[in-house]
Amino acid sequence: MMDLASVGQPAGHVEGPSKVTGQARYTADIRLPGLLYGKCLRSPFPHARIVSIDTSQAKALAGVHAVITGAELPDRRIGRFFLDKPVLARDVVRFVGEKVVAVAAESMDIAEEALTRIAVEYEALPAVFDPVKAMQEDAPRVHADTSTYTHPPVPDFVHPGDDRLYPDIPNVVSQVFYTHGDIEAGFAQAAREFTHTFTIPPVHQGYIEPHASVVQIEPDGKVNLWISNKTPFVAQAQFAAALDVAEDRVCVNTAPIGGDFGGKGSLMDSVVCYHLAAAAGRPVKMVMSYTEELLAGNPRHPAVITLRTGVDADGRIVARKARLVFSCGAYSAFTPLHTVHGSVHAAGPYRMPNVEIEVFRVYTNTVPAGHMRAPGAPQIVFGVESHMDLIAQELGLDPLEFRLRNTLIEGDAAPLGEKWKKIRCKETLEAAAKEAKWGAEKAANRGRGIGMYDREPGAFGPSSATLSIAADATLTLMTGAADTGTGSYTVLQQVVAEELQVPLESVRVVQGSTDSAPWEVGAGGSRLTHMAGQATLAAVQRLKEGLTAFAARHMETPSEQVAYRAGEFVNTNEQRLTLPTLMAALADREELPLRYTGEYVAEAPMDVTSFCAQIAEVEVDPATGQVTLQKLTTAHDVGTVLNPLTHQGQVEGGAIQGVGHALTEHLIVQDGAVTNVHLGDYKLPTSMDIPEMKTVLVESDAGPAPYEGKAIGEHSNVAVPAAVANAVFDAVGVRLMDLPVTAEKVYAALREKTARSRTMRRGNS
Amino acid sequence: MKPIQLRVNGQAVERDIPDNTLLIDLLRNGLDLTGTKEGCSVGVCGACTVLLDGQPVSSCLTLAVTADGCEVTTIEGLTEGDRLHPLQKAFIDYGGFQCGICTPGQIMSAKALLDENPHPSKDEIQSWMMGNLCRCTGYYKIIESIQAVADGKVST
Amino acid sequence: MITFEYVEPESLEEVLALLEQHGEDAKVLAGGTGLINLMKQRLVQPAYLIGLRQLAHSPELAEIRPNSGLTIGALCSHRTIETSALIQHRLPLLATTFRHVASVRIRTAATLGGSLAHADPNQDPPPALLVLDARLRVQSHHGEREIELSDFFVDYYETALEPEELITTVIIPPQPADTGTAFLKFLPQTHDDYATIAVAALVSLDGDTIIRARLALGAAAATPLRVRAVETALRGQAPTPQVIHAAAALVAEEVDPLADFRGSVEYKRDMAVVFTQRAIEQAVTQARGASGNV
Repeated sequence: MMDLASVGQPAGHVEGPSKVTGQARYTADIRLPGLLYGKCLRSPFPHARIVSIDTSQAKALAGVHAVITGAELPDRRIGRFFLDKPVLARDVVRFVGEKVVAVAAESMDIAEEALTRIAVEYEALPAVFDPVKAMQEDAPRVHADTSTYTHPPVPDFVHPGDDRLYPDIPNVVSQVFYTHGDIEAGFAQAAREFTHTFTIPPVHQGYIEPHASVVQIEPDGKVNLWISNKTPFVAQAQFAAALDVAEDRVCVNTAPIGGDFGGKGSLMDSVVCYHLAAAAGRPVKMVMSYTEELLAGNPRHPAVITLRTGVDADGRIVARKARLVFSCGAYSAFTPLHTVHGSVHAAGPYRMPNVEIEVFRVYTNTVPAGHMRAPGAPQIVFGVESHMDLIAQELGLDPLEFRLRNTLIEGDAAPLGEKWKKIRCKETLEAAAKEAKWGAEKAANRGRGIGMYDREPGAFGPSSATLSIAADATLTLMTGAADTGTGSYTVLQQVVAEELQVPLESVRVVQGSTDSAPWEVGAGGSRLTHMAGQATLAAVQRLKEGLTAFAARHMETPSEQVAYRAGEFVNTNEQRLTLPTLMAALADREELPLRYTGEYVAEAPMDVTSFCAQIAEVEVDPATGQVTLQKLTTAHDVGTVLNPLTHQGQVEGGAIQGVGHALTEHLIVQDGAVTNVHLGDYKLPTSMDIPEMKTVLVESDAGPAPYEGKAIGEHSNVAVPAAVANAVFDAVGVRLMDLPVTAEKVYAALREKTARSRTMRRGNS
Repeated sequence: MKPIQLRVNGQAVERDIPDNTLLIDLLRNGLDLTGTKEGCSVGVCGACTVLLDGQPVSSCLTLAVTADGCEVTTIEGLTEGDRLHPLQKAFIDYGGFQCGICTPGQIMSAKALLDENPHPSKDEIQSWMMGNLCRCTGYYKIIESIQAVADGKVST
Repeated sequence: MITFEYVEPESLEEVLALLEQHGEDAKVLAGGTGLINLMKQRLVQPAYLIGLRQLAHSPELAEIRPNSGLTIGALCSHRTIETSALIQHRLPLLATTFRHVASVRIRTAATLGGSLAHADPNQDPPPALLVLDARLRVQSHHGEREIELSDFFVDYYETALEPEELITTVIIPPQPADTGTAFLKFLPQTHDDYATIAVAALVSLDGDTIIRARLALGAAAATPLRVRAVETALRGQAPTPQVIHAAAALVAEEVDPLADFRGSVEYKRDMAVVFTQRAIEQAVTQARGASGNV
């Protein structure tokens, strides 16, 4: 192990004091002179033509400053990749909750009152809610004509596949194939084949901060935007495109993000907020209610996953064909790029030479889907890992044994041909099994189940950071990445302190606006520790070189004879110059603070991944179907852990999101409308709903982040639903093919099983 | 409109407010005490928890007029000068928050617990804190943070 | 939030006079955890809101008083009832039941009278109060009357309370000796949820014979439900597993649950049977060990 001082320490969040005292200003906390409050009237229909809109009564209400409809806005569609979403519905509404009219008023109460005075006449149109049905020839078309919808080329950092955007299949946005080997030859070698289909409903990210936007337009037209968006520079570009102005006419200001989990990467209300501010001539704040969040946020894609697997006589997988159908809802605008990334995990972390994955993203008249912690992966892994257990059961193999026969080992090519180095898949699974006491005796109605996943560190887009040193030698690192709470600022602080061998407290980390910070993609895809970490290392390096040159001049020594050591410069004569002394000396001659910017772009695709093995232990009450998750073991193949405290926080928080996904969370959609629209009905786990948690870290030294760190943010949430479903089967012998694993479903399955066995007994007698 | 007089974090406050003003809006918009957060707006998530005469309440379900004559304590009232309250320090040291949006509510609820029961068991902490949702931490480190204060491990 | 005029009378008489004056245009505000939510969603839009805060120290409305039984002021919070030494000693069933309601923060604000008037059939306290044979004292400008709790709940969110009436006190009659009680709340989702089904049971034994049985369910119909068929089936019987099982099975015919996010009609009906059986068993066990402790 490396000899490290700051890195590797369990450092509390650097931004902690501002958060625990209530001083941190989130977007909804921004207050400006003359601020108005915006609110939208939303569609009650899943698919309808707008016949007429009468806003006269709303406009007449005292305190209302602007009322706008889609027809009054430029006919420009917005989005991240596919530009298919109008700011306010024009002519047609395509999901329950779509924004139709926007109002800005002196107070939220007045804005809400104004909404009740707007009359909209609709003419209902046929709607489609199920993505598989939506692909049939006779299905209603969610978008009558997509030929005018634009999108940029598929970026090169995504896994290369055969991409067909808007193919000639009803309602299909994209059809992507990932293939490796020869799928037909593979199945020809198979002794047995297994096919199963799994269904996963939409779930919400569950951040406690609803989306907020604040827009202030300066007299010269420059736009100041505050937005609960984790990627300010990306938001700036999307927002400027939505307004058709140059990016530098928009400044995205700084604000911490009150929970992201993938969900805070869209423009949400910001564009309509701009139009309200422009119409009213005053700044406008829009904060979604949690009901709006659940009705019309950007939840995780619902999916239908069919897996077909060929296994040889020794229980080794020889071929996997996957057909993944994701509903993106009514708009694809703020979904992940061309397809749902997690699709590449449809083969799991197993050796299988022949793979074909076909992924559809399909329009339906439901809430538009978006990103959520490892987009696509929990849905697919629920299928993949349940499928593994189903196959093991058919083969008469223990689920652990079947996996150990097939896990990737050093030297293997991964299913889509990736050549990972330092594969720790088997080791991670064995570590989990040992900690969870796999194979140990269980009480009646207790069961254990495994789930596995792997994910490489995020490596896309440029990162940069600016390190400055002031006259009093204080160090400030400025990043353009918004703080989503994952601890990335603290890791960056540790990197600076480590490299400069100074105490942690002497380094501040601040967010810069898009006007002040260097360009940075921001949080997402488990990339910051790696990418922003490397950019920070580069900034420290430049600062060291720059200051060494100043020190050399001051000490009248050639700079190659001056070395930096723990807060001071030393030349070959053992002459010393402390940082404060140097900075004081420079104060007269240089413009302070001195600033050094480091940049980083990962050149090659990642050659390393991180494996995760999770084992759930449940108890099932056979009389009620109630599943109690007693224990969750989560084992992770990690690199150097830069901050054990925040690293563990990611493991625990992610795992409990997985528990929610497994047991209680789903957006219940009836006739296209989400019906459980507040947190009393959409059930997030509470402090009373958490299992005994055991974490095992299998350390490796191959990560691309500074000090050989890897990623951890999108690992522990993914395989929990599968592990729980597999444990339920182990406990009481019933298999759920859809999420969540509710008591009622388990109860129904138990009744069915009992009825079946009675029938069989009768048949035998 | 109704005239109200109350004390907020020890300071006397007098205001004329519309009858339908919620306490959370008085605090956030009227007094610029934006440390109190609004999450679910229906009393479930606990982000808006403040102490009303020492008792934890959902400020999103409390009419400001009903705080007339009361003492309200918000997260901003826990700090004495620059000195953090032990709970505030513990939440930093033990990783009791990540994004921070639920944290003011968590800390106010925890304060109400420790005011009533200075040495709660782990089970008592879990049960008391059930009304404060956190999506980041999975709760383990929140419970550890509160336990640390109860066990006297945190000094400020 | 809707607009309304808030008034805060100093006395019960003034409250009753205002209720008389405004009738259905007025709503009474106690803890507010139910009413404010309904008002925020515009489901209830009173022109006048009558705050009861000034009555918080009225002995009648705010105290728990022992007599041969017990009276509980309608303004007592759930938390007050849960933590009252008197309740814990005399009516542990109530302390247990109120501890199951929502979170500490909600229990601190929500009052007994408010929750009864709210009449959400999924609430926890009504089944427990039903098996204790509770009565309500309600007052209006014209006088007062008592309503059996079993007659109080009329329909979904509807009660026998007239617009000008106010619940002032809940009266719990003296409870018999050699009695056991149980309250079970089935929470298959999260611990802060409403019940999928809730059951309260009370059983008195004379030797090995059930001489008294009371059973009530929450979340089992449009109103909280007292199930006398089960009570009759148990009375006079020895509490054997067969007797309890057969009696509990009768619940299936009595309940008329509403499908919601916590379960389908069929599932709630089946769970009503399971938890009725468990609650009776638990009450019997407690009765066997009881010495006049309800």
